[in-house]
Amino acid sequence: MSHWEPKILSFLCNWCSYGAADLAGVSRMEYPPNIRVIRIPCTGRMSPKFILAALRQGADGVWVSG
Amino acid sequence: MIAQGKYQEALEIITRTLPFPGVIGRICPHPCEEACRREEVDEAISICTLKRFAADKADIDELPLPDITPRDEKVAIIGAGPAGLTAAYFLAKDGFPVTIFEALPVAGGMLRVGIPDYRLPPDVLEKEIKWVTRLGVEIKFNAALGQDITIDGLMDDGYKSVYLAIGCHADMKLNIPNEDAKGVIPGVKFLRDSALYDIKKLEGSVVIIGGGDVAIDAARSALRLGADKVSILYRRTQAEMPARNEEIEDALEEGVDIQFLMAPVEVVEKEGRTVGLKCITMELGDPDASGRRRPVPVKGSEFVVDTDIIIPAIGQRTDTSFLESATGVELDRWHNIQVDPLTFETTRKGVFAGGDAQTGPSIAIKAVAAGREAAISISRHLNAEDLKEGREPLEVPQENFNPFSKDIEKVKRSRMPRISMEERKKSFTEVELGLSENQAVIEAEKCLNCMVCCECFECVNACKAEALTLKTHSQKDETVEVNVGSIILASGAKPYDPSKYDTFNYAKHPNVVTSMEFERILSASGPYGGHLVRPSDNKEPKKIAWLQCIGSRDVHLGANGYCSGVCCTYAIKEAMLAKEHSHGDLDAAIFYIDIRTYGKDFERYYIRAKDDLGVRFIKSRITNIVPVEETGMQLIRYVDETGKSVEEEFDMVVLSVGLMVSMEIAEKAGKWGIDLDHYNFARTSSFEPVKTSRPGIFVCGAFQAPKDIPSSVIDSSAAAGVAGSMLAGSRWSLTKTRHIPEEMDVRGEPPRIGVFVCRCGTNIAGIVNIDEVVEYSKNQPGVVHVEDNMFSCSQDTQDKITEVIKEHRLNRVVVAACTPKTHEPLFQETLSNAGVNKYLFEMANIRNQCSWVHQDDPGKATEKSKDIVKMAIAKARLFEPLSESTMEMNQSVLVIGGGVAGMAAAQNMAEQGYKTFLIEKKDSLGGQARHLHETWRGEDIQKYLTTLIDAVRTDQNIEVFLNSQITQVDGFVGNFKTTIKNDKESRVLEHGVTIIASGASELKPDLYLYGKDSRVVTGLELQQRFVDNDQELPRHNTAVFIQCVGSRIKERPYCSKVCCTQSIKSAVKLKEINPNMDVFILYRDLRPYGLREDLYREARSKGIVFIRYDSNKNLTVDVDRNYLKVTFADRVLRRIMEIRPDLLILASAIVTETDNTLTRFYKVPRNADGFFAEAHVKLRPVDFSTDGVFVCGLAHAPKPIDESIVQGKAAASRAVTLLAGKTYQTSGTVAETNPLICSSCGVCVSVCPYSAPSFIPEDDRFFPGRAEINPVLCKGCGLCVASCRSGAIHLKGFDNDQIFAQIFALNEA
Repeated sequence: MSHWEPKILSFLCNWCSYGAADLAGVSRMEYPPNIRVIRIPCTGRMSPKFILAALRQGADGVWVSG
Repeated sequence: MIAQGKYQEALEIITRTLPFPGVIGRICPHPCEEACRREEVDEAISICTLKRFAADKADIDELPLPDITPRDEKVAIIGAGPAGLTAAYFLAKDGFPVTIFEALPVAGGMLRVGIPDYRLPPDVLEKEIKWVTRLGVEIKFNAALGQDITIDGLMDDGYKSVYLAIGCHADMKLNIPNEDAKGVIPGVKFLRDSALYDIKKLEGSVVIIGGGDVAIDAARSALRLGADKVSILYRRTQAEMPARNEEIEDALEEGVDIQFLMAPVEVVEKEGRTVGLKCITMELGDPDASGRRRPVPVKGSEFVVDTDIIIPAIGQRTDTSFLESATGVELDRWHNIQVDPLTFETTRKGVFAGGDAQTGPSIAIKAVAAGREAAISISRHLNAEDLKEGREPLEVPQENFNPFSKDIEKVKRSRMPRISMEERKKSFTEVELGLSENQAVIEAEKCLNCMVCCECFECVNACKAEALTLKTHSQKDETVEVNVGSIILASGAKPYDPSKYDTFNYAKHPNVVTSMEFERILSASGPYGGHLVRPSDNKEPKKIAWLQCIGSRDVHLGANGYCSGVCCTYAIKEAMLAKEHSHGDLDAAIFYIDIRTYGKDFERYYIRAKDDLGVRFIKSRITNIVPVEETGMQLIRYVDETGKSVEEEFDMVVLSVGLMVSMEIAEKAGKWGIDLDHYNFARTSSFEPVKTSRPGIFVCGAFQAPKDIPSSVIDSSAAAGVAGSMLAGSRWSLTKTRHIPEEMDVRGEPPRIGVFVCRCGTNIAGIVNIDEVVEYSKNQPGVVHVEDNMFSCSQDTQDKITEVIKEHRLNRVVVAACTPKTHEPLFQETLSNAGVNKYLFEMANIRNQCSWVHQDDPGKATEKSKDIVKMAIAKARLFEPLSESTMEMNQSVLVIGGGVAGMAAAQNMAEQGYKTFLIEKKDSLGGQARHLHETWRGEDIQKYLTTLIDAVRTDQNIEVFLNSQITQVDGFVGNFKTTIKNDKESRVLEHGVTIIASGASELKPDLYLYGKDSRVVTGLELQQRFVDNDQELPRHNTAVFIQCVGSRIKERPYCSKVCCTQSIKSAVKLKEINPNMDVFILYRDLRPYGLREDLYREARSKGIVFIRYDSNKNLTVDVDRNYLKVTFADRVLRRIMEIRPDLLILASAIVTETDNTLTRFYKVPRNADGFFAEAHVKLRPVDFSTDGVFVCGLAHAPKPIDESIVQGKAAASRAVTLLAGKTYQTSGTVAETNPLICSSCGVCVSVCPYSAPSFIPEDDRFFPGRAEINPVLCKGCGLCVASCRSGAIHLKGFDNDQIFAQIFALNEA
């Protein structure tokens, strides 16, 4: 299990965290590539069903940020 | 190119105009070098030898063949010499089939048979001739004109044009007796025969007659062929010899004997063989036509020279024996072929001539040039174009050269190594060996870049986006006349150049950089890719010093007296960024005079740098900077605040350079007819800050005064607003309307998705395997077209995408590129242009969130990119076209606040033709300005205010409501309904936009006996006394100002911006009123920013005493025996000091109301200090995030009157951008209810921050009591969707099924 890498799905608010993720790129910061981003218009859009669906699809973690 | 070691590129560039770099680079007498401006420094650059170097170093055979479009018209060239071969080369490049007819069995002409092998080895020539024939040129040997071929015959054979390049191969005769004796060999024939035929060895002595290159070549060849003695006889002196000096010297070196002032009279023969030459001595007489002195025989001086061989080399002529067969071709008076000097066309149409046959014997490079010109003519002839157009000779070849410094180090011209003398004498081995690589690079580096651009066109090759092409590269300035109603000058400022008066060794030491250069060092696209390294050794610095006020606040030579206004904050920013970039614990120190962080929120930034990040701030005067030997460190010597001398070493020094107007702009201002101030900034007044001295011309940004980006952007909106008020009548008169094609109805169609994968240059393609992503995307369901683009956002790619959408009938588009936050609107426009609803678009962010952040793992980055694209496709499949609603924009504005900013805004709105409501809670207009006396420049504020109030009150378009409060606000952008209430009425005002100019006020402090002792007043109260012309003032003897009362403290960590300047202005005024008054200003950092520095200087010169007090130690004000006593710690003297003033002025902070109802009414935020927060500090400095609401004046931040006026006009200008449209579009990504399944629970109604959902009225026919959503109010946040218990709400563009599709696409992730 030493090489196990989690799959993380993130839901990022368009106005803050998604912009921050862009800025991380502009600043050429590095982070591990095992994260996938779904852009949502606001964390208010977040539904518990999305988290359940993600976990059911095999995601090891769900990150909601906004 | 050679200087950069790019030899192959250098050769390619040379061969664009010269097919024989190796040949010409060896034998050319290089007339070009005479034009070289390096001559003015030391010696001309060895251009010729460098060409040879490039040819030797790089392989001409490896140059790529050009793209040739074949043509049918055949061209015949007579003569395979330099002219003929060159013409063939260029004609072949133009696609014409070329045949060269050569009389000799070899190609090269004189290059082959006239120039001996020791100067030009035949293999060099052959290689370059092969380069010409590689283009398809055919050479037919042993085909002499007049004997084997004729012009008419060639024309009959289908050749459309003939080029005569037959050279000058016939020798001139001596015209002396016995000239035909055996042993007399004419020079050209001798060289030809020794090169090609039977002369392999000479015996005995040789006499050569003549002084030209042929004579020297013959002499040196004779020596190599074994002649015992070789003499040259020349009838004049060495000075007149036409041969090149280097050649003469080489000949002498090799042992050739040259006799001057001798002429042949007769060949002495014996039995038909030459045995001697009878000569006569000459002397120089009067100059002849060539300017050379004519040799005159000395009578009776005849003598005989014994010799076996005589080689006359006195000149060549064109062999014109072919002429009989060449009808229509005529000769000139020198018996050369007559041509048009521009086109090289002979007297027969379609027949051209060039080279020695046309000019008489000359140098090879001239023949090459002639060949090239002839090729142009022949090409034009065959294209039936005008031969002459645009080919007039240049009268002034070049001017406006790049200036060069006088201090360029002199470098000696490199000399080529040579073979030994022994070898030289016995063989035809090449004498000169060419430059070494090192020599060539040194020589090439001497180039002064006279024309700046050398037209190597490497940039054209490098530009993968094809933005730079040969065509765009050759673009020239053009004059365009535009009719305009007004002009806005935004010509800006340039950074101060510290190298001119180089106090800090900036020009000499790489580790001393300007702040601008430091910005580049930190930039990801900068020279070090964003890594913090110092230039001298690319190592990360551990200590960096910033020196403030470089070129600013300095009245010494070359510097500027004003404060540049931006440097303190940018230096702090750079120090903080540098700390972020540093891998270690970077020590950042800022050496300053005053820290001037007076802008909105800048003080907090300063505190953060100092207290949280540990940036050191050192109040000091720099003495000098000395480099520390070989370490790359710089030793800074300075005097600290207490007067102590201190030294400290730093790895790097950053000079915080100021801003200044460039001389170029200052000169142009004269043409524009506008006045400048003594610093060359555009002269304006405090009340009309964007108006120049010339009506109709406005100014914004740093050309008006040094300022930062937010102020410049505010200026620019204001300038647009003021220009707009002048031109309101002609609004929409010269506008262009974009044509948008009708939208295709894609409903019901199966998805036809197009995927465009962007390489973004190397930004994405450098990490992510684009081909893999493209292939992967092709297999996704619904995808019908995939392609990759170099730069998807470029205009040409946009056009292409539009075409592709139409061609493949795409109804969904995915662009895998950068972030939708910056580029979504652009691509949506592309969809609209292709007739596709713009909401059928999705971006896959494979740059910002993939390639840029996973640079170390291209494999994983590629996998991630595939997933991202897959998720985007999955979502796009489910997109539906969305519609935007068009709303009418109410054409009136509400301005809240009747101060200067509000009135300026109202006035501008009214001037632009809009109905304006201006409400003020007090009983009069004017706001804080009612208490102000003069601006810092001395302009009368009360006079201005009276005029402004009059103008506002009498303006037909402005309705003023005094004593009015807002009680309720409904509506949204375009349709606000604001209820106001005053003593007379309660009224609902309907308006499209809102401008908040609600102001701020001066803090009434509870410190320093304020309110308890009448001698203690605030800054504004003193101003009021000036306004009231208080007669008490002259009676005061000592006045003390205390700065930062209530500002820059823990509870209020901001700078009130106006107080320093206001106190200085008041102090000067007090001195004016009573020159004997002692005036003290106790300050922390003095902040008269920008041009206000002049006022500070004036105050000091008037004897006002500025004392820096320690704000960390107690400052107290007491009454001692009826005297006021101010006690404080002096930071310079390090002592507790005491002053007993009879007037104490507290420069009190600007504060906001604690509870501002406007925040709730218009849903606009305030910052921690209570000032309204704009949408974006730099990009939208007067807008709120809430559409249709704008801010200006003190409500936004503390600011002086001129800036309030500018901001008022800027807010008006921004408001007009909405009103002028008359209608506006709402977003399509909004929520929608399905009333069928709505349970009327009301959660959506209660959670929505924008009041978009509401219940359908109970008396409605359909679905009464169920929820509906107003698409205009909806911001598309989705809060209601997530909270709806019945699943009755859908968010268009982010609907459940779409997000689930994205999640399900993750399956394979």
